[in-house]
Amino acid sequence: MSISLPTYTRREMPLLGRRHRLRAIIVTGLRREFKRPAVIVSTLLGVALIVITSIAILLFAGLFLPGQALDLSFFFVPASNQTVLFFITLMASLVGSALIADDLNSMALTLYLSRPITHADYLVAKAAILAPLISLIAVLPLVLTPFVAALLGLFSWTIALQAIGLAVLLGSLFTAFYTSVTLLLSSLTHRKSYAAAGIFAVTFGLTIPAEILSISISNPALLYASPWEDYLAVARAAFGAPGGQIDWPWALVILLAATLVAASLTYLRMKAVEVVAG
Amino acid sequence: MFGEVRAVDDLSVAIPEGAIGLVGPNGAGKTTFLRLLLGLVRPTTGTAKVLGHNIAEGVPVRERIGYMPEHDCLIPDMTGVGLVTFMGRVSGLDADTAISRAHDVLQFVGVEEERYRKIAEYSTGMKQKIKLAQAMVHDPQLYIFDEPTTGLDPRGRTEMLDLVRVIANSPGRNVVLSSHLLPDVETICKYIVILDGGHQIAAGELRQLLSGSADRLRIDVRGDREAFAQRLRETGLEAEATPTGVHVARKPGVEGVIFEIAKALGAEVRYMGREIRSLEEFFLELVERNEAAVSV
Repeated sequence: MSISLPTYTRREMPLLGRRHRLRAIIVTGLRREFKRPAVIVSTLLGVALIVITSIAILLFAGLFLPGQALDLSFFFVPASNQTVLFFITLMASLVGSALIADDLNSMALTLYLSRPITHADYLVAKAAILAPLISLIAVLPLVLTPFVAALLGLFSWTIALQAIGLAVLLGSLFTAFYTSVTLLLSSLTHRKSYAAAGIFAVTFGLTIPAEILSISISNPALLYASPWEDYLAVARAAFGAPGGQIDWPWALVILLAATLVAASLTYLRMKAVEVVAG
Repeated sequence: MFGEVRAVDDLSVAIPEGAIGLVGPNGAGKTTFLRLLLGLVRPTTGTAKVLGHNIAEGVPVRERIGYMPEHDCLIPDMTGVGLVTFMGRVSGLDADTAISRAHDVLQFVGVEEERYRKIAEYSTGMKQKIKLAQAMVHDPQLYIFDEPTTGLDPRGRTEMLDLVRVIANSPGRNVVLSSHLLPDVETICKYIVILDGGHQIAAGELRQLLSGSADRLRIDVRGDREAFAQRLRETGLEAEATPTGVHVARKPGVEGVIFEIAKALGAEVRYMGREIRSLEEFFLELVERNEAAVSV
């Protein structure tokens, strides 16, 4: 007699690549954010306020900005609208402050990193959740303004398209800076409120003292300490607007360097977090 | 190595398929060992392979591992089914398969009615089951359970151990069970690795390790064990009373002496046979021996 037992072969479940895994984190993250009323309200309010004020200024330029040339340099006006700064800070603190801090607090980071993704994948996914939301404030209104202006026949499409291109570049620069700094602050604490306070501190704690001190001691170099002033210097140069007290190349270098340093520090910080704790 | 501390040193072990217990006192290096298995840290020297993949590869290793962490690590504002589906997708399952698998594994672990509730509302037992479900969702070849019965009441503990046992007994699935609760390890695992001070102090088949020397007998006596051991020693035998019985060195004719003493003391010999230790006894013996060796 001979008995032969069946050989059990286990069917491997096909797994999709890393791009799909990151997309799952990003889509789930964005869905969660867009379910939050605070995010919806601040996005709508921010975009509407900036676009409406820009168009209003555009329509009544002769009244609000006497002597302002209606050429490419006009689009520095919406780019330098301080509402942009306020709503970017608000968006970063509402969404970004919790992105890593909540995972540290709930220890969900363990779940993520025990999956087939790397620390860098995790950070890229988190940045990809935050960046589109910040760019809704930093890019969208600056793109809509020249578009509407061209539709209304106030500017030629050549100038409008130039302005749109520059708006995308400038908005992306500021989005990258805020995304990077926000994720760093979020990775440093388990409490999102601390990270949110840090974002306001970076924005207004640097900008307001830099502006006051640069005037009081007549040293414009202090303005380099403010990310907003650095952004304005670059925007001014890009749109060819007159004025400005600091050199745009240095301002650009400072913004890019701060973005890269913050991203590197976030990565190092995440690598140092003990995912599997005993 | 963490700074100047060598968390796991000189660990050479080939772990066979099946259920493997990982035990050791606090600071023994169990957590570092799990980090190594997950490819989250790399050994400073030497190599390690998990399911044929070098752990330095990280991602391909974790594709084949389902990890159930010890601590509460769930995302509180997600539903049970939402979290398990999400973890399936992060593991690489497509959306339809992830949802379908999430429902399957939640049914398996016994979270059915509650799967649409937010995790923040779950009891400790349900959270443990969700942690198990998320580890299972992508049908891994290797499961790592880190203290799976922590915080569970006796009923919950039995349920969890039953689930772990079913997984461990399934063909093509392997389990590494790290636990302080040695009876849990003893009931589930066939193979064991014992760590202490970052070193492996024992590894092998549990049955072999626990079956002691053929030169010793264990006697289960109903009555005064200490008096029984004392009488044995008076006859020139090497004997010791422990909570698990009286242990005697084997000599020709020892059985006769044992029954005579039992008759004299009015004690009942309920079991007499080759000495078999519990995992707890074996573990304590090893750790004490290791501590003595280190202090020398």
